Amino acid sequence: MTIDRLLHVVHRRWRSLFRRSRVEAELAEELDNHVQHLTDELRAGGLDTGRARTEALRRFGGVERHKEACRDARGLNRLDHLWRDLRHAWRSLLARPGFTLVAGTTLALGIGATTAMFTVVEHILLRPLGYREADRLVVLQYERMNTVAAGNFLDFQKEARSFAGMGAAEWWSPNVGGGDAAEEIQGLRLTAGIFPLLGVAPLLGRTFTADETHAGAEHVVVLSHQLWQTRFGGDSTVVGRTISMDGAPFTIIGVMPRGFGFAPYWATGARLWAPLVLDARAADRTGASLRVFARLGDGVSLEAARREVAAIAARLEQAWPGTNRGGTVVPLKELVVGDVRDALQVLFAAVTLVLLIACANVAHLQLLRAAAREREFALRGALGASRSRLLQQSLVESFLLALIGAAGGLFVAWGGLRLLLRLAPGRLPRIDSLSLDLPALGFVLLAALGATIVSGLVPALAASRADLHGVLKEGGRGNSEAPGRRRLRALLVVSEFALALMLLIGAGLVLRSFDARRRLDPGFRPDGVFSAVINLRGSAHQPGERREQFFHDLQQSAGALPGVQGVSMINHLPLHGDSWRLSFVIEGRPLAEPGDGPSAYFRVVMPDYFGTMGIPVLSGRDLTEDDRRSGNQVVIINQSMAERHWPGQNPLGARISVGALATGADWYTVVGVVRDARQTGWTGPVLEEMYFPWLPPAAPGARGGETLAASLHPGTMTLVLRSTRPTAELLREVRGLVTALDRDVSVSDVLTLRDAVDEQFAGPRFQLSLLGGFALLALVLAAVGIYGVMSYTVMRRAQEIGVRLALGAAGGDAVRLVVGQGMRLALAGSAIGLGGSLLLSRYLRSLLFGVGPTDPFTFLGVPLLLAAVALVALAIPARRAARVNPLTALRSD
Amino acid sequence: MSKPADLVQGTLDLLLLKLLALEPLNGWAISQRLKQLSADVLQVSDGSLYPALHKLEQEGWVTSEWRPSENNRRAKFYSLTRAGRRQLEIETGNWQRLSAAITQVVRLREA
Repeated sequence: MTIDRLLHVVHRRWRSLFRRSRVEAELAEELDNHVQHLTDELRAGGLDTGRARTEALRRFGGVERHKEACRDARGLNRLDHLWRDLRHAWRSLLARPGFTLVAGTTLALGIGATTAMFTVVEHILLRPLGYREADRLVVLQYERMNTVAAGNFLDFQKEARSFAGMGAAEWWSPNVGGGDAAEEIQGLRLTAGIFPLLGVAPLLGRTFTADETHAGAEHVVVLSHQLWQTRFGGDSTVVGRTISMDGAPFTIIGVMPRGFGFAPYWATGARLWAPLVLDARAADRTGASLRVFARLGDGVSLEAARREVAAIAARLEQAWPGTNRGGTVVPLKELVVGDVRDALQVLFAAVTLVLLIACANVAHLQLLRAAAREREFALRGALGASRSRLLQQSLVESFLLALIGAAGGLFVAWGGLRLLLRLAPGRLPRIDSLSLDLPALGFVLLAALGATIVSGLVPALAASRADLHGVLKEGGRGNSEAPGRRRLRALLVVSEFALALMLLIGAGLVLRSFDARRRLDPGFRPDGVFSAVINLRGSAHQPGERREQFFHDLQQSAGALPGVQGVSMINHLPLHGDSWRLSFVIEGRPLAEPGDGPSAYFRVVMPDYFGTMGIPVLSGRDLTEDDRRSGNQVVIINQSMAERHWPGQNPLGARISVGALATGADWYTVVGVVRDARQTGWTGPVLEEMYFPWLPPAAPGARGGETLAASLHPGTMTLVLRSTRPTAELLREVRGLVTALDRDVSVSDVLTLRDAVDEQFAGPRFQLSLLGGFALLALVLAAVGIYGVMSYTVMRRAQEIGVRLALGAAGGDAVRLVVGQGMRLALAGSAIGLGGSLLLSRYLRSLLFGVGPTDPFTFLGVPLLLAAVALVALAIPARRAARVNPLTALRSD
Repeated sequence: MSKPADLVQGTLDLLLLKLLALEPLNGWAISQRLKQLSADVLQVSDGSLYPALHKLEQEGWVTSEWRPSENNRRAKFYSLTRAGRRQLEIETGNWQRLSAAITQVVRLREA
């Protein structure tokens, strides 16, 4: 269609639609013209004026009919009918406010819940990451490790040809000075390659150059939008200013735009970025602390890049045995959403089932209405309304209803999203930007359209087929219903029960998994303990030989606070903190091949850690003040380590040495075994763990191995404090103690251990609350559905029941009739649902823990629950049936 | 009452387009011209002429304008658009192919 024709057509349609009166007038005039001509002709033939006009009109053949045909030709009528149907539908919905309220609310719940869930899925799974061509970004890691040592990164960067760019990032949390107290802020150190890789331009200033990633030039920093807002009040002159981090001055060179974050899956809270200097670390093959990001080159496939990286890693492994095993690349998006994808897909599927049940309920309500209105439809059919017109009218009514549902659904979705945000675990990626936006609105409309078809088509077809003869013959007594329609309604109830059962089974399995998770023992007593990270960097106590004094004084003074039952410190708090695993060797046993030796979680603790945490010492002794003062080379191991490496033996007195390149020169004697405590994950197995005493650099024990020496007197420790007093109050006092000792020391990342444990359930709890909510909704809808069907049946069959009662049947028979019929439907639905669940529940596997996807307890319990609910829902219609008064029933019309 | 079905389906459009290709006409004139030119063979009922014209206008093949007619009344004159001219070519081609084919079939001799 050419442009001018298109314009013409649009103009015509516009005129036809919006200049109605003008178009009508012109049409009348045009036809009248013709009649006039005819009249003139006839008059010329000898007829008088009046007769001529009448004859002309007769020959022309009905002006009104031709006008109607012209309107049809202009496409006016279709719109007219639609408009009329809409008004009619609106009036008929208003005329039955009860029906409209129930059906509208049902649809609003279904559409709203689905829309809220869709918004989450769209934001997290479908939307791109916010970097340029983010689907080409990959992360380089190893099969069993996701960090890379500096020397290896530099080699990959030099040798790999598959990538258009590569860069590395390292965790960095500097103490930022200025203000009342030092504050530890999460940041990252980045090589110069990262920002070009991401392709996001700074809002202000610039990002750093390759020159700035060398020693001496690296004191520049790029701020996140949020940090710029909170700490600098969005001041646009901030670029060029200097801030103090870890006691050194850094120049602010740029501010990133709002919404920019890096990295997206780890260190997600990073709010500043500074250059990463690798000059002196090129020889480091084992200190794996870098995350490596790369962009696939043009036309390079993921597989090709994987092959190349594997080949380079294999070469590196040959040169430095024990390193670089299983090098590969993983799409960045996979790391960002991989964990939550399964759960979100399951939840979205679940909410779709809820919407289906809601539609089935509304379809059912419509059927009831259609039954009540079948005489209206039959009559209209008899008066000449075509079947498609009747169908259209029904569908228009369904659509209007769905629109009402959609409008209500928007409110439900809005509230649902707020609830979701409150429930969502902090780790759910990209959740901050969640809001009802354009895609969500589009989805609502789509859902409304879908709901129209699902809930409206069946009743519409049934209504438009209304059989005039049958309906009118019945004379309105309406006691026998078309068997087809009765089957249809039964089918709807059966499918509602099947769907509800499937949802309930899913929710039941997830509930059982959640319960199994909860019952796991953390290995310590979390209640009453809180923790806070104490960071000496940038303070006067940073130098190694000054740290002991600070930590010792803090432990003493905090222990003296009223109501404190125990205080200690650990390098990395279990569950919440960082976790290092170091390899170790046992004295007198053969050395394993490099990279194959045993390893264990590495902890450094102050005295009384086990007492404070409530971890029992199973054998041997606790670490003491004396161990630190005398620099004793001792270590405490956990139960798993004892059982795995000294099965059936006593590990006390055995000696181990630590570090990847352990030579066996520095031996630490095992003096105690403690109970296993959870380490990084909640559900995985507990692995080997070793606790060393915090030893000052001058202590004999800290002078041993190269790797271990520096690690035994870390300048950042996590304080753990057990008390019955309120956390906020104690925290204030602890902060006061810290500031009194050194005002440049920061206190950050405060949390109770109960929170640290609960954090482990955040994801499962989120899944459970949503799935449980959906299942509950489904249960209510199914109950309402069966109630509706049986109530209607009782109403329809009141006469029959009345006759039976009059003939001597007991009220109990009527009850049996209703309950029996209702339960047959419920049980049939449940049976189908059970079959469906058996087929589908394995897709839940990634959400389950401690129960199988065919957990018999759930598969038995849920149908029983559903049957009980069905019984309750049937109680009301059954009672009504028993109370049918034979006299009124027989007289009723 | 004769209906458009008297004519081969769709040929009324072709006839109208052809007439309007010669000169702009009003409805009355079109009906007269049709009778004249086809020597009364093609009987188009006056009433069914107008829906057909309105449809052509809706499609953008003809356009209309109010002008004084010969008897000094205001009349609606239809004229062909560029798109209409193209449509006329297409439909003429179609018609020629169709009539040629039918003619050939009709002329077959029985063996």
